Amino acid sequence: MQAALIYSILSVLLVFAGLTVLIILGKAWRESVEVYHRARRREIEPALLAYAHGEAVSAHPGLGGQVRFRDRNVVETVLLEFIQRVRGIERDRLGRAFDELGYVDSNLEQLRSARWWFRAEAAEKLGLSGARRATEHLASALNDEVPEVRIRAATALGKVGGRASVIPLIGALNEPNRWSTIRIADILTGMGTDVVHELVQSWDDLSHSGRLAAIDIFGRIRLLDAVPWLRQRLLDEHADIRARAAHALGAIAEPGSAGPLQDVLNDPEWPVRAMAAKALGRIRHRGSIPMLTACLRDREWWVRANAAESLRLIGPEGIEALIGMLDDQDNYARHQAVLMLGEAGEIDSWAEQLAVHDEVALDRIRRVIRSGQIGRLKELAMLHPDPAVRTRIRELLPEVAA
Amino acid sequence: MMQGTRILVAEDDPVTVRFLQSLLEEHGFEVLVAEDGRHAYELATSGSPDLIISDLVMPYRDGFGLIRALRTLEELTRVPIIILSMKDREADIVRGLEEGADDYVVKPFNARELLARVRKQLDRPRS
Repeated sequence: MQAALIYSILSVLLVFAGLTVLIILGKAWRESVEVYHRARRREIEPALLAYAHGEAVSAHPGLGGQVRFRDRNVVETVLLEFIQRVRGIERDRLGRAFDELGYVDSNLEQLRSARWWFRAEAAEKLGLSGARRATEHLASALNDEVPEVRIRAATALGKVGGRASVIPLIGALNEPNRWSTIRIADILTGMGTDVVHELVQSWDDLSHSGRLAAIDIFGRIRLLDAVPWLRQRLLDEHADIRARAAHALGAIAEPGSAGPLQDVLNDPEWPVRAMAAKALGRIRHRGSIPMLTACLRDREWWVRANAAESLRLIGPEGIEALIGMLDDQDNYARHQAVLMLGEAGEIDSWAEQLAVHDEVALDRIRRVIRSGQIGRLKELAMLHPDPAVRTRIRELLPEVAA
Repeated sequence: MMQGTRILVAEDDPVTVRFLQSLLEEHGFEVLVAEDGRHAYELATSGSPDLIISDLVMPYRDGFGLIRALRTLEELTRVPIIILSMKDREADIVRGLEEGADDYVVKPFNARELLARVRKQLDRPRS
């Protein structure tokens, strides 16, 4: 019995000792590999940089011929690290070396691996390298069963660029259940102006959600060529398309869009009116001041808020229009005007002038009090650093109210 | 012309540093490297650089702070500074130039374009 117990304890100790030795050996192996890689990197890096900066036709001679099997990972890592940091000829040459040294082929093979993480990594590397000949394979990987592989393939297509990459990504916009539309839209936006033409061409084939995403992309890329087409979308039968088109036109801020945007300030759907009001402010269109002022009486809060913000953005003339609304019959319009004048710092600046008995400022403060929106004035009556201003506001508040 | 011209590279990313060092040395420049803002300030004041290429995001002192500090030193007011940064927002570019930088290059950068900007800054008369 006692012997069995001793044997059991010894066996457990032996297992632990064996595991400890294995862990130590594993760590030592990893560290020695890292040391080796660092040493090899010091030799390989200058050769690849000399190739990138120079005019040599091939990267092979600088590396001393074929890349040895044990150096393949180091060379690949170095190439991808430098590729990500530069543009232009150097980047093209490093990308060419990536292909010449066989890394495009090896990653295309990995893209067919049974293990999804190999496929994901291969897609990422092919994207970083900008390998155009991988486009078709990456487009196929958009149908991978694993979401991580799909999104890395989509990101890779975005980096590779070109029409062949854009088309499958636009197709992905049509499948909001399968893809994160926001991420695909981000990728397409990052591809720049080439995308706009393709999206216009694909418009009829896009789903409703795809169309909404497409219009957002136009607004983010801000290509002037897209403006006439976006103005047409202001007449679309769907209110959300009209609203997004108004938003995109505001983002592009081409002054000629003011007229069509003014027209949709009377749209029956409030999101369209709200976005048009916002867009006119982003364009800073002074000719729209009367229409934006009228929007302060809109029955929807978002329209009133966006119109007030736009008047502020337009500058002194817009501010004057807001001041003019302090005596308006419409309670909501007065409220919005006071809120925006407060946000713009106008009420604070008039309060400052009370200390020097400025008549214009006094009149405006009285109009604010009559509007019934006296929250900011109450704050100033308590907190303003100048006691003369505090006293004057306290005197005015009951005076006008009476 | 560029022999003996000394360029200080203030950059915390070692890969970018090695790329810049290789590029600049290949074109005959002498390169000083600082891996953070504090070290960059020390090297700028002690190493007499003819031009400074600085990142914006660095440990201890960011690029804006570095440029502001260098521009207060009389011996460095005329040394051209080129910002090399991933920050590509208009506000950052404007701020960098307002703080005293002479040029701004966005990463990832085009090596030939950067070299041309370096040469242009070095060729400009500093009155």
